[in-house]
Amino acid sequence: MKSTKYSEKVLDHFRNPRNVGTLEGDDVAVGRVGNPTCGDIMELFIKIDGDKITDAKFRTFGCGSAIATTSMTTEMVKGMTLDEAMELTRKDVADELDGLPPIKMHCSNLAADALHEAIKNYRRERGEEVPDESESVKEEVECLVGKDAFLGKGVYESVENVDDFKDLRTLVLYSGDESVDIAINLTEVTDRVILLTPDETLVLNPDLAERLARSSVKKLYQSRLLEVRGEFEVEKALIKNLDEDEDYEMFIDAVIIID
Amino acid sequence: MKDIYLDYQSAKPVDPRVVEAMHPYFTEKYGNPSALHHVGDVATDALEESRKSIARFINADEDEIIFTSGATEAINTALIGYAVRNRSKGNHIIISEVEHISIHNIAKQLERMDFEVTKVPVDQYGRVSVSKLERRIKDETILISIGYASNEIGTIQPIREIGKLAEEKGIAFHSDAVAAEGLVPIDVKRDGIHLMALSSNDIYGPKGLGVLYMRKKYRVNPLIIGGGQERGIRSGSEDVASIVGMKAAAEIMEKEMPAEVKRFAGYRDKMIKQILEEVPDSYLNGHPTERLASNTHVRFDGIEGESILLSFKDKGIAISTGSACTSKTLEPSHTLIATGLLHEEAHGSLQITTGRFNTDDDIDRALEAIPEIVTRLRKLSPIYKPRTV
Repeated sequence: MKSTKYSEKVLDHFRNPRNVGTLEGDDVAVGRVGNPTCGDIMELFIKIDGDKITDAKFRTFGCGSAIATTSMTTEMVKGMTLDEAMELTRKDVADELDGLPPIKMHCSNLAADALHEAIKNYRRERGEEVPDESESVKEEVECLVGKDAFLGKGVYESVENVDDFKDLRTLVLYSGDESVDIAINLTEVTDRVILLTPDETLVLNPDLAERLARSSVKKLYQSRLLEVRGEFEVEKALIKNLDEDEDYEMFIDAVIIID
Repeated sequence: MKDIYLDYQSAKPVDPRVVEAMHPYFTEKYGNPSALHHVGDVATDALEESRKSIARFINADEDEIIFTSGATEAINTALIGYAVRNRSKGNHIIISEVEHISIHNIAKQLERMDFEVTKVPVDQYGRVSVSKLERRIKDETILISIGYASNEIGTIQPIREIGKLAEEKGIAFHSDAVAAEGLVPIDVKRDGIHLMALSSNDIYGPKGLGVLYMRKKYRVNPLIIGGGQERGIRSGSEDVASIVGMKAAAEIMEKEMPAEVKRFAGYRDKMIKQILEEVPDSYLNGHPTERLASNTHVRFDGIEGESILLSFKDKGIAISTGSACTSKTLEPSHTLIATGLLHEEAHGSLQITTGRFNTDDDIDRALEAIPEIVTRLRKLSPIYKPRTV
């Protein structure tokens, strides 16, 4: 089946998604699954009264089936008890939509997972025992391969002349205000500046934060540069997504590392 | 409302004038060019006339044109056929990161056959760096394969410079010209190309036919063995009707290309300008000037390509995306990744390719739909954060 060959029900939920939005309050729990690398992110909000789900809303970044499955899940869970909702499977959601193309069954049918995540979060907050499958955080060893080998061949420890970076895809490692300032200044000479930080957010003075927000600098949070790669000069960066514990390569021309 | 087709890069309608030219060759002039009688002679004449015409289209000699079942076969024959025949000279082949997927897959096959394949990177606009290419050349390098232009983002490569480099180093240069044919004037002598693949459908000829251009002294081993047709490089009785169709398509293209390219460039420039102006947080993929006239390729922060495609489909507009969700492998476009984009950026890309039968109205309707579709999908998206301006 072609990836875009969807059932009428899937198409209906894609065109007219039910329950789009967010919920707030002490009786609300959120489940978030997926990652942008795979092309799907889902957020599912449930409102809980006693052990019953009274309302549900969602937001989704993803393909047609990702939107439709989350929409359908919000419809299905209303009125369910938490135990019933924990039993809801990806297959139940797909069946309710008259099926999904086989290739879509795994990648974008994560709505049930988001629901289970939300319920677990809710129970955890109330001090209930929740079986934990993963969550063993590995200690990261700070180590950057290739930095010294590429010094002067695309790896810079300071910026003397911004024109050296004309039209270059430049990765700037966050190391405080100066690195942010450099990243913003480079956008004068190149369309592609990426600011990389292992943190979830950047704490900056308001003026710098605003300049950064206005600039075309691409921010990459929760990411670490593992290795600089290339033949003769910098051509790729191996980056770890700390949130997903996944490594990927990105094509670049220059890296700025300021201590 | 009539459906609108804006995916000419994936398939083109056959020009009605081409269909007309082909007609007699199904029922009246059905002979086999290899047959020596008068019925065969009619087919032989048609075949050789077509070969001349198509050779002229790319400034080649007629005995340098080999008909195949399509561009994919032509590329297979060029790469595998040349590599195997010249293995004694060396086992190293260079391609770029932005080749058509068929070339990447053939490269994998060559690696399984103990050839060494190196990929040369491109800049943020998708252009191959000639100096980076040069530094990858070794004594063992026998073949360089760089597509004339990208079938995805439309970036045109510095073909003449690459051809010159290959000539200087005595290395064979193959170019997959499928995306570029009919949109840029191709001259194999001026461009320094030794082996080249063309597709009939990409100049509005019938599908299922392609051409391998093979310069003298750059011979390849055949992949398909049989009765020795096409000078033994590609056996099997020639599909004369289709070949006559490609000839007609090439002749029409020669005449109409300059005006047509001008018209497409007008569409493209209007679309790029209007989309980037009207849709916040949208960007152009590919080269701002060195790009095919038919190609508009943009990306939008915070939304996903298949959702864009489906939304267009609902409006009766056929477009394409760089999203993984529409591909067979669920991997995002390797071309977009090679330009330095992150996966989620590649996912949010939209590809519009125009062609012969588009009108101003088609472009306007697509342009009208885009802001509305992007806004709706962004409202659904948890990751879209507008840039504060």
